[in-house]
Amino acid sequence: MSKKLKLWTGIGTYALMNIGAIAPALATSSHVEDGLALSNESTPTLLSQNNACVAVAVEGGGEGGAEIEGGEGGEGGEGGEGGEGGEGGESAAPAFTTRVFLPPSQRFQDRQTLTDFVDELIIPNYESLTEQTGALLTEIATFVDAPSDATLATAREAWLATRTPWEQSEAFAFGPAAFLGLDAELDDWPLNEADVVAVLESGDTLTPDYVSDLQTSQKGFHAIGFLLFGTDNDKTLADFTEREVAYLAAIAPVFDQTANDLLTSWTDGIQGYPSFRSEFVNAGAGSEIYPTLQAAGEEIVQGIIGILDELGNVKIGEAMAAQNPFLLESRFAQSSLADFKDNLRSAQNAYLGEYDAADAADTGLSSFVAKIDPALDAQIREQLQLAMAEIEAIPGPIEKTLCDPSAEPQITAAQESVLDLFDVFQEQILPLVQQ
Amino acid sequence: MIYPFNRFRAGNGRWRPRLLLGFGAAIAGMIFACLLHLPTAAQTAPRAGGATTITNRSSQAYTQPAPNLDARWDERHATGDLAFEAAFVTAPATVNPGLGPLFNSSSCVGCHINNGRGLPEKGQRVVRVSQLTPCPEITLPADYVYALEAAAPTGNAAPVWGIGNQVQEQGVYGHPPEATVDVTWQEVAGRYGDGTPYSLRSPQTQLTRWDGTPLATDVAVSTRIPLPVFGLGLLEAVPESDLVQLADPDDSDRDGISGRPNRVWDVVKQTDVLGRFGWKANTPNLLQQSASAYANDMGVTNPLFPDIDGSYDIDQAILEAATIYVQTLAVPARTGWNDPEVQRGERLFADANCAACHVAELHTGIHEIPALRHQTIHPYTDLLLHDMGAELADGRPDFQASGNEWRTTPLWGVGLAQTVLPYSGYLHDGRARTLAEAILWHGGEAAAAQEAFQQMSAGDRAALVAFLRSL
Repeated sequence: MSKKLKLWTGIGTYALMNIGAIAPALATSSHVEDGLALSNESTPTLLSQNNACVAVAVEGGGEGGAEIEGGEGGEGGEGGEGGEGGEGGESAAPAFTTRVFLPPSQRFQDRQTLTDFVDELIIPNYESLTEQTGALLTEIATFVDAPSDATLATAREAWLATRTPWEQSEAFAFGPAAFLGLDAELDDWPLNEADVVAVLESGDTLTPDYVSDLQTSQKGFHAIGFLLFGTDNDKTLADFTEREVAYLAAIAPVFDQTANDLLTSWTDGIQGYPSFRSEFVNAGAGSEIYPTLQAAGEEIVQGIIGILDELGNVKIGEAMAAQNPFLLESRFAQSSLADFKDNLRSAQNAYLGEYDAADAADTGLSSFVAKIDPALDAQIREQLQLAMAEIEAIPGPIEKTLCDPSAEPQITAAQESVLDLFDVFQEQILPLVQQ
Repeated sequence: MIYPFNRFRAGNGRWRPRLLLGFGAAIAGMIFACLLHLPTAAQTAPRAGGATTITNRSSQAYTQPAPNLDARWDERHATGDLAFEAAFVTAPATVNPGLGPLFNSSSCVGCHINNGRGLPEKGQRVVRVSQLTPCPEITLPADYVYALEAAAPTGNAAPVWGIGNQVQEQGVYGHPPEATVDVTWQEVAGRYGDGTPYSLRSPQTQLTRWDGTPLATDVAVSTRIPLPVFGLGLLEAVPESDLVQLADPDDSDRDGISGRPNRVWDVVKQTDVLGRFGWKANTPNLLQQSASAYANDMGVTNPLFPDIDGSYDIDQAILEAATIYVQTLAVPARTGWNDPEVQRGERLFADANCAACHVAELHTGIHEIPALRHQTIHPYTDLLLHDMGAELADGRPDFQASGNEWRTTPLWGVGLAQTVLPYSGYLHDGRARTLAEAILWHGGEAAAAQEAFQQMSAGDRAALVAFLRSL
């Protein structure tokens, strides 16, 4: 075929593919003007910038929105669909976007990916969690029985060690963690400090049953952290009141039980519900929850996108934009930086499909991507390493360095590397599993 | 694209065969393009939310921003996302103070899990009550406070002494909840026309006041589960005239289906307007819906529903941010549209006259948010009230809505209900465990449609449900 023939073939193809796009573009051009007229209102600024870097009270959760980018909508299904005239709005998206079409053999269809995701990542991760919550229970009991600097230090170490598998599980916070409210039971944030103090000041008998009935914001990680570390990682043994010790003694078994419920909800099922493992691995084979295998694959990718969004836009982004250390999640223990690393690790584990990433299975999302586009897979692995290096480069504790101008380049670089990964998963990986 | 063509024509005498060759190539290109396009073209379903539609069949399907937002609205959406996720705590606090003192949940997402339904359980459900006939006054402690609920001058849901119009099942420290709610389920057996048995359950809700004082007599109790919150901006943008046109209050077309709009109190305009949102369409717009949820469900006072002394916990900017978030959520695209069973199910849905109320296609008009304007949408609702029969009735009138009437629930995204919130139920109190059960509960104006479904063959019933699951 001559070059010119190729050119004309191309033109014909292009013209035809665009016919559908032209009609809505013409039909909607008249709406664009009134669209612009109203867009001039400013974004509500919900908290003025706090340049002094004093931790400030925050209302209602909309703080410092100026810097925050939204998670962008899924792109799949938007591109290349001609013949939808008359339904356009004033879309900001280009009328024609490229979309990869995978041959059937390359589509997301390996059930082993799902099985391994549960058996080699989710369940081992939650087993680590219950191992640590069990150890935390023991160490708190030891501290309660014999309070000393040494037993306190050990209990604190146990809290930090429990944090690791929990934060590493946040890329797959779907399923029972979400729909049974177990995530909130374990890690509701912020702490309801006023009610925790009210309980401490009351004469109520502090038992595990009593703690069970409290709001979620009074009994999770942050309640234990607050009791063990104080508000600024500055609590001494002498600061502990009897009531605080009693609260710790009552809360630890509840916390451990919830972590075990989370593990059991996947392996065997709790509260009369079937095992979530069986729902997930039977996606597209009888599961009511995941009617197609692709829906479960999408869930994996959406989980990775979710944690990258949370880490980049909220955990780092929101606190940084507002310059407010109160917005750092683990500020009592001053260990928010460790949370950042474990969240990124969570995304990496989910991508590789293995809890122990050293010997990644060949059925993970990474392998699926590599079969379609090895360069993209290599790029993501590299970006994950880069982002980890950038987070590790942030001088800590971030509770102290958040507003230090000399730390700003490292914090911003880390945030950007996380958001770059977010973009890749949102724009390039998600469309691949949706086919 | 035009340029090489012109150059071609201006060429030497050999242009004609080249032009022919060019046309041939173009036609070949078109054919090639068609072939390339086949998989897409064949998959092109009516776009549920017009240009706000996204492809997502995960548990996050209801949580995506509309893809057609411009940068400014995208940013506002992201700001609103934080507000919608924010968990409130007891004041004073460094972050998000203002919870309670009485509440049902501490955050928007606490009830609308993944922006979708909730379960009929404490922390997610809302139990609404009203005093049907004036009761002999029960003496309450002088300092007794029940949660603030704004009275509408034109409202007909009289508050119940000591509770108001909504049972707050939780309180911050030192504030006992208004009542405990016990729900027991009653099973009733039935049979399809082909003899296949089924069982339907309905809730019996028992209220016990926290202090043991008796509940007034003649109180209507209506348990509600949270509704999904995506696509609501589009429903807000459907012109009132279009909805009024769908109404047929006197059933003048004699099809057994009337349908009428609710007229409800607008706290900003201070007058009655068309109701669109909620199980009985008792809320006029999303700002008021959000403000009411903050005040009544979370105890978070705001400019629309301030505290008795005029103060409030969140300001207008946060209220608007949460509202904008809801207004600008994307609508998930349909799936499996090509499946012959799904297509047959859609025909059966139409043949059974389900689509008379679950109207497939509406058009939006103007709205403050440009991305919502002039969209063709497929929400499967008319936003009107219909008598759904005695079996589903809650006996609790709400503005123009009678105790038998419910607003047609939008069906878009209903196929994702179990993915977004596993084991969640359908209908106002979550009684239906499956879509088939939800259909079987239909009565009143929908009795003929229900009968049609009940008499279908197992294959046809499965097809109709397959259609719903494709939404």
